[in-house]
Amino acid sequence: MGQAFSFANIFNKLWGVNKEIRILILGLDGAGKTTVLYRLQLGEVVTTKPTIGFNVETLKYKNLTLNIWDLGGQTSIRPYWRCYYSNTAAIIFVVDSTDKDRIDIACKELHTMLKEEELQNSALLVFANKQDQPGAMTAAEVSQALSLTDLKDRSWSIVASSAIKGEGLTEGLDWLMDVIKDEQL
Amino acid sequence: MSTSSYKKQEYAGTGSSNALPDKMAVFQDCIQQFNATPVKTKRCRQLLARLLRLIYTGETFPAQESTTLFFSISKLFQHKDSSLRQLVYLTIKELSSLSDDILMVTSSIMKDIQGGDVIYKPNAIRTLSKVLDPTTVFAAERLFKNAIVDKNPIISSAALISSYNLLPNAKDVVKRFTNETLETIQSYKQFPPTQFQLHEYYGSSTSNLPPTSYMYQYHALGLLYHLRNHDKMALMKLITTLSEGSALKNSLSIIQLIRYINKILNDDESLVVHLYPILAGFLKHRSDMVELEACKTLINLQHLIKDDQFMAIITTLQKLLGVPRTATRFAAIRLINKVSIKHPEKIMVVNIELEGLINDSNRSISTLAITTLLKTMGAGTVDSGAGGENVDRLITRMTSLMDEITEDFKIVIIEAIENLALKFPSKHKKLVAFLTDLLRDDGSLQLKSSIVDALFDLIKFLPDASAKQLILMNLCEFIEDCEFTELSVRILHLLGDEGPNTTNPSYYIRHIYNRLVLENSIVRSSAVISLAKFAAVCGGDVAKNIKILLSRCLNDVDDEVRDRTALSLKFINNNQKKLIVSSSKYDLAALESKLTHYLNDQANFSTKFDINEIPLLSSEELKSLEYNRKINKLDSSTTDVTENAESVAGTPAAEDKSGADDTANELLKQQEYAQELSLIPEFAEYGKLSKSTITPFYLTEKENEFVVTVVKHFFIEAQKLVLQYNITNTLPRSVLQDISVIAQPDNELYEEDFIIPLAELKPDSTGTVYVSFSTPSIEDEELLAAFGNTVAYTNKDIIDDEGNVDERDDGWSDEYQIDDLEVSAGDFINPLYNSNFSAAYDQLPNPETSVVTVGKADSLEVAISKLRASLNLMPLDGSDYVPSDSNSHVLKLFGKDVWGGKVGVLVRLALTGGKIVAKIEARAETEGFSSIVANGAY
Repeated sequence: MGQAFSFANIFNKLWGVNKEIRILILGLDGAGKTTVLYRLQLGEVVTTKPTIGFNVETLKYKNLTLNIWDLGGQTSIRPYWRCYYSNTAAIIFVVDSTDKDRIDIACKELHTMLKEEELQNSALLVFANKQDQPGAMTAAEVSQALSLTDLKDRSWSIVASSAIKGEGLTEGLDWLMDVIKDEQL
Repeated sequence: MSTSSYKKQEYAGTGSSNALPDKMAVFQDCIQQFNATPVKTKRCRQLLARLLRLIYTGETFPAQESTTLFFSISKLFQHKDSSLRQLVYLTIKELSSLSDDILMVTSSIMKDIQGGDVIYKPNAIRTLSKVLDPTTVFAAERLFKNAIVDKNPIISSAALISSYNLLPNAKDVVKRFTNETLETIQSYKQFPPTQFQLHEYYGSSTSNLPPTSYMYQYHALGLLYHLRNHDKMALMKLITTLSEGSALKNSLSIIQLIRYINKILNDDESLVVHLYPILAGFLKHRSDMVELEACKTLINLQHLIKDDQFMAIITTLQKLLGVPRTATRFAAIRLINKVSIKHPEKIMVVNIELEGLINDSNRSISTLAITTLLKTMGAGTVDSGAGGENVDRLITRMTSLMDEITEDFKIVIIEAIENLALKFPSKHKKLVAFLTDLLRDDGSLQLKSSIVDALFDLIKFLPDASAKQLILMNLCEFIEDCEFTELSVRILHLLGDEGPNTTNPSYYIRHIYNRLVLENSIVRSSAVISLAKFAAVCGGDVAKNIKILLSRCLNDVDDEVRDRTALSLKFINNNQKKLIVSSSKYDLAALESKLTHYLNDQANFSTKFDINEIPLLSSEELKSLEYNRKINKLDSSTTDVTENAESVAGTPAAEDKSGADDTANELLKQQEYAQELSLIPEFAEYGKLSKSTITPFYLTEKENEFVVTVVKHFFIEAQKLVLQYNITNTLPRSVLQDISVIAQPDNELYEEDFIIPLAELKPDSTGTVYVSFSTPSIEDEELLAAFGNTVAYTNKDIIDDEGNVDERDDGWSDEYQIDDLEVSAGDFINPLYNSNFSAAYDQLPNPETSVVTVGKADSLEVAISKLRASLNLMPLDGSDYVPSDSNSHVLKLFGKDVWGGKVGVLVRLALTGGKIVAKIEARAETEGFSSIVANGAY
């Protein structure tokens, strides 16, 4: 039986079925995390309220089961992020590209988070969100503001997106899936 | 494999019996399993159940661990299994008080309420109310409103109850649910047909489930009441709407409605005109619970309703006595029993049903049936001339019944018979005969003691000397053949106290001497003391003979008997009567409290304990105390269960009860006041406190911003009156400073000496203001007065949560007029018991007569209680019980004034043209007081 078990394991690893992949969506409040989550799951825009706590949804994406946790971004809730770090394969960090005033805070939160032991092997995908709005920073500008180039030993990528219009999300997720599959094999 | 391993773990976990699973093991398992992906639902459910069991049995986890636990559990939200989700909610609800991080699940719960499965939606709603805090509650407002009006009654109920739980934290938000709640209470909500079929447990039996229970009406009513109970008009409107037609279908909600009606009526009796028809409507209802509740409420309000209306209650109860359900029969007969205490004549119509219930299989019911019957038949004997037959019939019935029933049952009957004899002294002969017959039959110690107790009480309280003699002789006969040493001793003691004062003491001496010859040493020694008492009291030949009898006992084999004999002989020979019989006793309650006080402080030991501080009670005063206690016990023992229930609904009942306790501890309370006042230096020279009013008198409404009560303290020797105003500040955001009470007497002979003001009164605290007056003496003409009272204070607002006020804020001065206070005749009187009113009354000098109309009383009963309260006298010969159909009554009142003189009042009451006229004849030993009593009675 032990043999069968390990065989199943290998099989699952190869094909990526039945293995759930944990992904966290983080970011400051009002960045659009909940909208991103439901745009991915339902394919439509839902009206959201500030998340007090978290939302969790499971979705299938290209033969993979994704277990996506969207944690609230309010100052009062950020300290609790760390309670959900363990076993996380990837982090999606959503940034409001129009919010130039708080981009520094976003940068700080991001780097503090990435220092955590439990997240050392997680991939990072940054969505420079709200590109549909006038005055939004470009992906490059956001990347610079967040000092993403300083990141070492980590697979990361930044994608310009608009959760409302549905632009950029699949590109970002595709990149993430590739990274995860690579790492698991 | 999996099933067997689960079984094994179950056994290991629960142990052989009921051993709890190990806390840390469960904790570790939980952390491991809840964080695993994918979630194993069945395993997690088992773990949660085990965790809950630990929590329910009182186990707690340290803060760090409960936080870890909570976050692990929150990860289970990723799984959609509805049974798992239900358990998750149960656990979170329990952890909500342990963990501070509980708000992290808010969004997840809200999502479930919006779109989740109907199975766990109610769980989610209930948990949400625990998770919300004042900052997040606004986000949930819409959710709650929608859930309250949900078509599913279970969801609606969950939302209503949760709103109820939210009230303390978020009253403003819940207030906005009023319209939704009203809508729900009037709607029809059906269980969805599929709801229970989803669950395997209910399976096929779901076809028998009723389509709805209307339980949400009960929940909605409870919530509405809380939202409106400060607004009487809104509440009245609610009651009227809901009582129309069949707006309420759920029996529990109707019962709740009746209780709310009861509460309103307790606060404002004038509303009875509007509310009586509603209550009467519920007397005929398909649910017996509702009928019983309506009866109960109406019986509590019986002083407000007419006789024919009262008959409707009795008819309903009569019907309920015949139903098969035991609980209903019991409740009905208990209510009837309650009525029988005060108005036995009103329930004579149900006598036939009651006689049938004597043989009821439920012992509680049959006991109540018998005690009730004893009262109704007793009432018959007082009312009609042919009453003797009734008692005969009753006694015959009792006698035949006594053979069939068990002993503890007999004891209940004995108590009832004693009460009957006390209340209707004229009928004592047959009842005493019944008791003594019973005494002769075989029985256990317990049974015999209760008979002896009853006889003892009768000796004390029956006015008739021949009755006393009759009982004493019977007791003598009993000890001739008594197998219980305890009882013999008690009876010998009583014979020693009572026997010497009878016409034929030698009769008792013979019986007592027989004991000296025939009994064991314990009985012998008490017989010695008893004989000594005869010698001391009777003197003369009797004493001489007893000395001869006692001298033989000096050779008794038992040393105790010899000692007592020697001592007694010594006392008799030296004429030390006081050492053998004492006419007064110490007040034991006061003695105990003084002794405790003395022993509590080592410093006290330097001085000797002063026994003279303890008030001495004459045997008369002792009797009044005992009589009061007896009557109170008799009234409360049958009603206290109901009163307990009522005290939840309305405070008046609870106060009545404490009132009854007060009478028992009156002297103790007086001592406490004296102690308190003696600590205030201003009152030090006033000397001995003569009398204080015991129950504080309310000068404001009880729900006022400031609640003021007053206690009057009289110092007769110093001619001072001290008014003690107790002021409670119920304003949550204000501090009162420099509070004083300006009391304006309408009698010029009262002169204000000084006021001791109160410096500061914080919210929800009580303080005291004293005002001292010089009073006129009894020789002056006007002793009575009324005081107009005004509270003067400086008000300051509280600016922070610590209750501090702004230092720079000078506040604003204000005055507040409160009710007037009267000094009435009753303030100078203490009730006193006397077993022979007529004799005592005839001996009193200074008769004075007045005729008054008793205002605001439409029945003799109300008038009597008013007179009693204003005069503070003790009603004698059971004259405070009025048969409800009579139009005239004679009330006999007796007491002792503060100057030490006795006061007797004979009141003839007549009911004419809806008014009650009282002719008051007062007699008092203290000169000038009888006119005050006669004129100041009302």
